[in-house]
Amino acid sequence: MNKKVFLLVVPSILLASCIKKEPENTECDIEAVSLHLDRPTDYFYHDYDTLQMVISTENEIVFTIRSYADIQSVPTTLRITEGATIYIMSEDGAYVPFLSGSSVDFSGEKEHKFRVVSQDKVWIRDYTITVVHDKPSEGNMSIDFESYHLDASGKYYIWDAPEVFTDGEWKNGNPGFKISKSSAKPMEYPSTPVAGGGPDGSDCIKLETCDTGPFGKMVNMRLASGSLFNGVFDVGNALKDALKATQFGSPFVHKPVTMRAWLRFEPGSVYQDRDANPIEGVIDEPDMYFTLYRNEDEQGNKVQVDGNDVLTNPYIIGKGRLPHHYNADGSDQLSGNPIHGVTNEWQEFTIHMQYTTEPDPEILANKGYSLVISFASSWQGAYFKGAIGSKLLIDNVQIFCE
Amino acid sequence: MKHILSIIAASFILAASVHAQQEDSWQKWGPTEGLDAGGFIVRAGYVIGGTTPLPLPAEVRKINGFSPRGGVSLGIDGYRMFCKRWGISLGAHFFWEGFHTNADVKNYYVWLEQEGEITKGYFTGTNVTNTEMWGVTIPLLATLRMSPRWNVSVGPYMSCYFKQTFDGEVYDNDEGIGYLREDKPTGTKILMTRENPTPYPEDFADNMLPLNVGLEFCFDWKAMRHMNVFGKLDWGMTDIWRAEFEAITFRMYPIYATVGVAYRY
Repeated sequence: MNKKVFLLVVPSILLASCIKKEPENTECDIEAVSLHLDRPTDYFYHDYDTLQMVISTENEIVFTIRSYADIQSVPTTLRITEGATIYIMSEDGAYVPFLSGSSVDFSGEKEHKFRVVSQDKVWIRDYTITVVHDKPSEGNMSIDFESYHLDASGKYYIWDAPEVFTDGEWKNGNPGFKISKSSAKPMEYPSTPVAGGGPDGSDCIKLETCDTGPFGKMVNMRLASGSLFNGVFDVGNALKDALKATQFGSPFVHKPVTMRAWLRFEPGSVYQDRDANPIEGVIDEPDMYFTLYRNEDEQGNKVQVDGNDVLTNPYIIGKGRLPHHYNADGSDQLSGNPIHGVTNEWQEFTIHMQYTTEPDPEILANKGYSLVISFASSWQGAYFKGAIGSKLLIDNVQIFCE
Repeated sequence: MKHILSIIAASFILAASVHAQQEDSWQKWGPTEGLDAGGFIVRAGYVIGGTTPLPLPAEVRKINGFSPRGGVSLGIDGYRMFCKRWGISLGAHFFWEGFHTNADVKNYYVWLEQEGEITKGYFTGTNVTNTEMWGVTIPLLATLRMSPRWNVSVGPYMSCYFKQTFDGEVYDNDEGIGYLREDKPTGTKILMTRENPTPYPEDFADNMLPLNVGLEFCFDWKAMRHMNVFGKLDWGMTDIWRAEFEAITFRMYPIYATVGVAYRY
């Protein structure tokens, strides 16, 4: 008996006693930046705008202040990877150590270069931090998807969006698709350009529900609906909580009332549920909506809608969506007879924003509301349901404001 | 003086009789056919151990849990003693062995390929591994009879696996830290949680070699005339993974101990 106990104990001791010294950290991220101002709203639209969480794919950090604000030296706190060291590029072009909390002169929209060196001194990351003035925006928008380019890795396309949208770019699930299907060519991604494919012979955008391959199957995210929206796509959350990865909306100072878009849709042949079981008698449907929500709660905290609540968050004051069948309780009803009316021929669709609360002009002028514009090639694509091969082509999107 | 002489004489007599008794016990506990005869030993045992890199790489920070899986060994050895103390044995031991472990890792390089799709990078968080192996071990051992009732055997063995499984998953550790840095430590940070853990690919075990070679150490104690209690250790000396397999960057060795009882003919 003793021998048996001994034999049980020995491997555990062997293993436990073999743990080596902890290796030094290899990462070198700026995780968050905050600017310290006595009266933040003299410069920013919201108190919370002084703090920016930096997602891992980001290295150009931009703060937007009011157009008339005159910003000078600001104590700047940088949260970086534990053990890493941070440098700032000095006037003469050399990197000098930066003490977090020191003042940085952000006047004149000056771009400051920062470099983070990992604890093990092997890895570096370069960042820029800039404070820019807000530019006046016209309410009405016309979007034609003519301007696009490949991302830095050369894997997928990115479309330029109106400047008022976050980063001046449209967002989509392409960065998430890249994780699951590394072999895909740029034109095999869910969101792709179609040169000359628009109703007027110009370029348009195609959203296609795609199979995510073996890795998608492994994590039970078997398909990716083509998507297009404004806001932030936090690819870091794509596996952990996919609905949270899509953070919708950008602050908007006008009251949107109508959205128009040219659409063409062809459903994929077999509608499937999350576990890839085919669902008989259901035809896949495209989705298009726009909403306006209050982006700050009563305590001054940021309100950010994501895939979980983009159409249900209580801070939403208005929404308009493509027609669809609903159950009595308001939940989605998938059917073999969709009513959205989008066919494989180009047609122009118009939807109107239904307001439950009128936007407050004062709050509107201070960027207190965010506008969401969103398209998807599968209505339930956010929940990994849809028909592989469903294609939604979009062109000439227009937003009309009051 | 006379007294001392009688003590010495008495001790000589005593020693002689002990010697005679020992001779008897070498006979008594030896092979039934004589001290240089052969025979068979049928063994049944409980197996415990693990398949592990040696030494543990620095990426492994903490072992949170370990438990054996399977743990059955049934076998037979044929043995032949050449003289009172030395002999050899050859056996075939069928086994079902394995383990489960849960370890915290830091910057653990992973490289996964499935149907041509590759995901690679550095994972920090909790890594859970389960492996089970069914097979047969053929040991060829030299046996030393240390005393009438104790045998020690040492020698090489070869294991052939009929079936192997190797699966697991990765997620966040108890502090909520779980992520993959894609490609390199400055790559995209992809968070992972226990609510939606990322499993190992289903075909992971296909990259395991069907053979393993190592050293066996076996200790037998003759508890009864035909019954042994034994303990043995199989120390694998060859990597369990195919050389071209890149998902695991270090060699892993199966190290399993067996305790059990044996019937001796």
